[in-house]
Amino acid sequence: MKKLRDYSEEIYKCTKCGLCQAVCPIFLETGLETSVSRGKFTILNGIINGHLKLNKKIGKYLEMCLGCRACFDFCPAGINAEEIIYAARAEYAEKYGVNPIKKLAIVTLNLIQGLRRSGSKRSSHSFMRFRVKPGMTGSGKIAYFPGCFDTSAKAVKTVLEKNGYDVYIPKGFSCCGMAARSAGDINTFNKLMQNNISKIPEDTEFILTECASCGSAWQDYPENIAKKAINIYKFLDKTDIYIPENAKYNKTVTWHDPCHLARFQKVSGEPRNILKKIPGIKFVEMEEPGKCCGAAGTFCITNSKVSLAVSKSKAKNIISTKADIVATGCSGCKIGIAQGLAGLGKIKPIVSSIEILAELYSQE
Amino acid sequence: MESFRKIVGKSNVLTEYEDRYCYAYDATAIGDRLYLPDAVILPETTEQISKILKTANENKIPIVVRGAGTNLVGGCLPLKGGMVLHLSKMNKIINVDKNNLQCVVQPGVTVEKVQQEVQKRDLFYPPDPASLRVSTIGGSIAQSSGGPRGFKYGTTKDYVLALEAVLPDGAIIKTGGKTAKNVTGYNLTQLLTGSEGTLAVITEATLRLIPEPEERKVLLACFESIEMAAEAVTGMIYAGITPSTLDLMDKNTMQTIEKFHKTGLPTDMEAVLVLEADGFKESVEKQAEQIIKICKELGAKNIRSSQNQQEADEIWFARRSAFGAVSRLRPNVLTEDAVVPRDKVPDMVKEIRRIADKYSLTVCIMGHIGDGNIHPNFSLDLRDKDEAERFKKAADELFDAALSLGGTLSGEHGIGAEKLPYMKKALDKRSLELMKSIKSAFDPDNILNPGKVV
Ligand SMILES: Cc1cc2nc3c(=O)[nH]c(=O)nc-3n(C[C@H](O)[C@H](O)[C@H](O)COP(=O)(O)OP(=O)(O)OC[C@H]3O[C@@H](n4cnc5c(N)ncnc54)[C@H](O)[C@@H]3O)c2cc1C
Ligand code: SF4
Ligand code: SF4
Repeated sequence: MKKLRDYSEEIYKCTKCGLCQAVCPIFLETGLETSVSRGKFTILNGIINGHLKLNKKIGKYLEMCLGCRACFDFCPAGINAEEIIYAARAEYAEKYGVNPIKKLAIVTLNLIQGLRRSGSKRSSHSFMRFRVKPGMTGSGKIAYFPGCFDTSAKAVKTVLEKNGYDVYIPKGFSCCGMAARSAGDINTFNKLMQNNISKIPEDTEFILTECASCGSAWQDYPENIAKKAINIYKFLDKTDIYIPENAKYNKTVTWHDPCHLARFQKVSGEPRNILKKIPGIKFVEMEEPGKCCGAAGTFCITNSKVSLAVSKSKAKNIISTKADIVATGCSGCKIGIAQGLAGLGKIKPIVSSIEILAELYSQE
Repeated sequence: MESFRKIVGKSNVLTEYEDRYCYAYDATAIGDRLYLPDAVILPETTEQISKILKTANENKIPIVVRGAGTNLVGGCLPLKGGMVLHLSKMNKIINVDKNNLQCVVQPGVTVEKVQQEVQKRDLFYPPDPASLRVSTIGGSIAQSSGGPRGFKYGTTKDYVLALEAVLPDGAIIKTGGKTAKNVTGYNLTQLLTGSEGTLAVITEATLRLIPEPEERKVLLACFESIEMAAEAVTGMIYAGITPSTLDLMDKNTMQTIEKFHKTGLPTDMEAVLVLEADGFKESVEKQAEQIIKICKELGAKNIRSSQNQQEADEIWFARRSAFGAVSRLRPNVLTEDAVVPRDKVPDMVKEIRRIADKYSLTVCIMGHIGDGNIHPNFSLDLRDKDEAERFKKAADELFDAALSLGGTLSGEHGIGAEKLPYMKKALDKRSLELMKSIKSAFDPDNILNPGKVV
């Protein structure tokens, strides 16, 4: 992990053009200069040049980032605020400790994994060879990383099997570590990462993730592992996806781009392609589909007011589409969207596209 | 401070050092100079602003208004401390009146938001500073900002019908009116437009709109020299064509853009013109044909014309990437904004290049050639004291060059604090005196944005 000081040139490169104000969801809600990347870089530059000290007040400002990378895509100078702010949080955590609420969340996530581990019967230990598909050159063995809120695991298994793949879900995975990483708790992140890597058999060719945040956590693992990790939509989009005859899904669906999918893993066309292939579906685009849902891991707990405001603005865009169903690919986003819709007094099913596919297959 | 808290509520007054540290700058590259305000206030209504100004005036506390803080002339720097009024919470569109072709908005709303809202009703607000996604209506009126469309549509000043503004003593005035024409007394609306926060705080604006053109087409014409590009522009004017945009980028700019985004610009060409034609469908086709013909006759090597929105967006993306690309070369970008008579553009470009060479500075030249408004973007590192010093000398010579070509200091970015030292050169003595007396008629105690413009 790079230290704050390693970024001093990057930080200095901010020309203060202020364009990030157009996209930072936090700024759009608070209207405060301290909450947009330009302000944060000014503060961090102040710390580096000695004008400011990394104190608790600044710790609070560092919290005011969803890590959504919207500003990174937009910044003319090409500076990655999210990465730099996380490095600053790590430095802050070294000095003052990890935010206790976040710590609690990290512990809870591990607990969930622990509970599930003990009760899990899902895992099958034998790999099966499957039809080798275009683009696969190696062993053809697929491991699936379900993540803490693996609401889609069953659907993933169904969908992969229907498409001729067999999946293996190793036992003993821990949380992907994203929550720890964003809290600046690098020690925990490293521990979780090492455990997860140790569960992956040597000859695995692909490590599939469905949850966007888990997927981008795996991208932060060492390169030899990261290059095996691939998002399930990207994986499936390359194949000739199986569509059962006569099955129909007669609903209007809109897709929310998770930050960790669209910007971190550059996967945004693929899930749409898959949805559009499903017979019966009417696909509608919402306005600003890539705008953050506001949940951002523990942010919705530590900064609930701002988080809810961001979620509501997302929910407004969803409601305007008049879609029956919101599809997305991240467990965190499901929370954000649900909180936003609830905040506006609406309820809509929020599912992942994989679940829609599984439902389609269930009609057979 | 207590009295300010009473007016706007505790959470809308920021006094911590860290907060103030984030309001000590705008988009101007100022190196390590630091001007901290004493506090930052986030008002939500005109009445609050009126009370704030009254209190500040009684206590002679400077007031610096801030929109999006994207101006490039130090307009938002609290040179003398005091209060920064950040208008980010006054960001509503009050109404859009299609019948009368106008809309009423609060000052903190962004230019883009206004454009999007009126477009939903097939209306068009043309002023288009490249910063329009964030720059506010208040800020763009205060700077009378322009953009590529200025050639055909003019700049912000041509679209302000009426203003509500607060004077330093707290009085709320309304200038102009709802009518398309108005010659009742002096034109205070235009006086406040471009006043850079030194005369009054603009709290509401009535903007003039026009019907949205049916069609737009973007063309990219490449030339082997800037002179040839300039001749093509003259050719178009003679042929009676008014493209909505007549923008120029030089070779250095194109090469810099291509380094960071592959947009397919002809990096072997000396100059490229970005042209946009708009209007009714048939008329756009005809204009485009004529533009292509003229450009070819006058030596254009290659002309790319957009066939659909996506291709138009690509060309625009290339043009709007220019500033960003320059900012990736070196950490600081200083954009100059001198304007010369249209036919002097090639001379001005030559001067810019000569001066940049003389002081060993990297410069990318782009700008609104149709308006004679050329932006040399100097890319440098202000921490290098020698380079910073060389830039200062270059800027001095640049202004002299613009003035001697019959031009002036600033086409659209304004004067602010950064260009103040050059005002004496650009204006005659009586004009300057008049401006000073206008300032003191509005603001006798000099509390509004002191140290700027005059
Ligand atoms: C990348 C980039 C591109 C740009 N491109 C262009 C361009 O193409 N054309 C152009 O003309 N400019 C351009 N600019 C300059 C700048 O964006 C414009 O001047 C813009 O309109 C300023 O708006 P703002 O809201 O940021 O104002 P601010 O910078 O916040 O304020 C500008 C001045 O206006 C005063 N002010 C702000 N609001 C009010 C108010 N409500 N009442 C009274 N005074 C007020 C402030 O005190 C200050 O002096 C560019 C800047 C950047 C960074
Ligand atoms: S967009 Fe990038 S360079 Fe511009 S102010 Fe924001 S962080 Fe700085
Ligand atoms: S990563 Fe997202 S929340 Fe954080 S500063 Fe950038 S735009 Fe704002």
